[in-house]
Amino acid sequence: MLGTALIGLCAIVFFSCEPFVNEFSDLSDAQMYTSSNITPVSVKNHPIVMTWNIRFGAARFPFFGDSCGDSVILTEDQVDSNMDKIVAKIQEIDPDIIMLQEVDILSKRSGYIDQVQYLLDNTSMNYGCYASVWQADYIAFEGTGRIDMGNAILSKYELSDAERIQLRLRTDQSDLVRYFYLRRNILKVKISELDLYAINIHATAFATDDTKKKHIDKYIDVLSEINTAGNWFVSGGDLNSLPPGASVTDYCEYDMCSGEYFHIDGQEPYHKEGSYFDNFTGEPEILQPLYDSYVPAIGTLENNDPGNFTHAPSTSYGPHGGGHRYDRKLDYLFTNLSEGWVPGTDSTYQSLWELSDHMPVVAALNMGTR
Amino acid sequence: MKQLISMIILVGQLFSAQHWAHHSAFSLPEKRWDIGVFQPLRFGVSERMEFSIHPLLFSVMPNLSIKISQKNIGNWATASRYGGFYPTPLLNMLTHKGQFGMISPDLGPIPRLLGLYTDLLLTRALFTSTYLSIKTGLSLGISFSGLDQRTTIDLPLVYHRLGIFYNKWAVRFGADLTGNITKKLRYLVDADAHILPGFNGDLSLENKGVLFWEINEHLRLLCGYKFVWARFPFGSQARVLPYIPIMETWVPFIDLQWSGARK
Repeated sequence: MLGTALIGLCAIVFFSCEPFVNEFSDLSDAQMYTSSNITPVSVKNHPIVMTWNIRFGAARFPFFGDSCGDSVILTEDQVDSNMDKIVAKIQEIDPDIIMLQEVDILSKRSGYIDQVQYLLDNTSMNYGCYASVWQADYIAFEGTGRIDMGNAILSKYELSDAERIQLRLRTDQSDLVRYFYLRRNILKVKISELDLYAINIHATAFATDDTKKKHIDKYIDVLSEINTAGNWFVSGGDLNSLPPGASVTDYCEYDMCSGEYFHIDGQEPYHKEGSYFDNFTGEPEILQPLYDSYVPAIGTLENNDPGNFTHAPSTSYGPHGGGHRYDRKLDYLFTNLSEGWVPGTDSTYQSLWELSDHMPVVAALNMGTR
Repeated sequence: MKQLISMIILVGQLFSAQHWAHHSAFSLPEKRWDIGVFQPLRFGVSERMEFSIHPLLFSVMPNLSIKISQKNIGNWATASRYGGFYPTPLLNMLTHKGQFGMISPDLGPIPRLLGLYTDLLLTRALFTSTYLSIKTGLSLGISFSGLDQRTTIDLPLVYHRLGIFYNKWAVRFGADLTGNITKKLRYLVDADAHILPGFNGDLSLENKGVLFWEINEHLRLLCGYKFVWARFPFGSQARVLPYIPIMETWVPFIDLQWSGARK
């Protein structure tokens, strides 16, 4: 009896060893998805590419983590309604490749909806891959509970060789906080029908050390490796970095919530996390190598034009924002295709400011002369 | 610190409490008591009746159960058990901002909740000092005002025990086997099913194994594990408890149990 019990115990322990918080290796496979309704497509010369941080379908919900709100858990009805609006816009814009950030799969805060599958099943996108940024059985912080948020790439074309490339963790946190915190990554996948790689990144937003530099450097390395090998890529994401030449690098006072105070000598933190873009030498120009080496969907001259701003924190449309619902550019598209993008197809959909705190950037790749 | 203590109490009690005790139809003899660090205080009121409360939990979750011996059915000793608990103060302690906040503060306060349960317990001897118990029970969860569905704590054991307040009711079935390995070493293995019909996450299957070492007449050392496989809104999950997240490992449950008799 005892022997049986002990063998049973060992078997149970062995087969039940899923981690509470998922820590990832430097390189791992991404999670693959297929739509329940495959829509046949033909290869296009000018596939439309979109990048969009959809804020886990929370739209402008006053989430405690990234706005001045104190709410945590959406109702299923709220998530369904928001996701349906995102679906409608994707159908309207009709992209061929979408790079998404802040997608939730089976998270308590977003009603345990697998948003990757939901988007595939309700749009004309056929295939998807996903890489977790934040995956834990339970986050005992303000009732967050189970969480699985990450980056996703959706495509009308079949995907293969999907990789999750781990980015360095923050060093400005305690071990305990870091254990439960985000593990950002680059998601890389091959689209064989277009002979193209798609690369999606969501770089750190809140680090006050050099983590952002490490993230962008790694991103440049990944792109460079593809480029050097003679392959083509389209890439984008939420880089959480300003374009070179941005006139403002300190948004602390714009983003300050009621009761918060910054820029007071001797008081920590001096800057608001995520609102200051000059934490280390060279941060304001951190994206310059990308502009030097590759073709941006929105050129250097237009990047700092308010018409191309992609982000708006909750304060920007409140009393301090003066009615501006977008005040900085954080989201980008790049390619190494020699012909770059089809002129005049780039667009920042600022009218969608109510669906997320980021607005999608869309442009058509010019693959015609390859 | 207050939040940490309340979380430790919740986790400790829900991971231990009634889970480590066995559920036989036998009551403690009159005036006999026993208690563990993480286990309930049981007291034999008479030869037929036993009271049980969780002292550590009582101030934040008032609770009481009464076991009453019934007539034997063939070789089976039988008992009925009736109990209730009031988790509102504890859940409100866990509803706050910041670390260890297990319920979102914007969903609080938690309304008055009353959990009631009844069990039928049957026990028979299989061999010398080896006993088989089977049990079946019904739980009811009463909420005296609207309870937001988003206030669930989606962890093994906790989710399904508090699930009665969202689902209104649950049933459970189980079997225990206990016996001696040596004169001073005893084992307990059991299996339980908690079923919440119609609930999103309607089933929890649990198994535990415990070794009891009788240090002396009044003191026992317990060591064991609990395995849970359960369905949740996000799918199914298996976990061996107690589980230490940061170490990503299971550790054995260890407890001390004292017993004695009131003069």
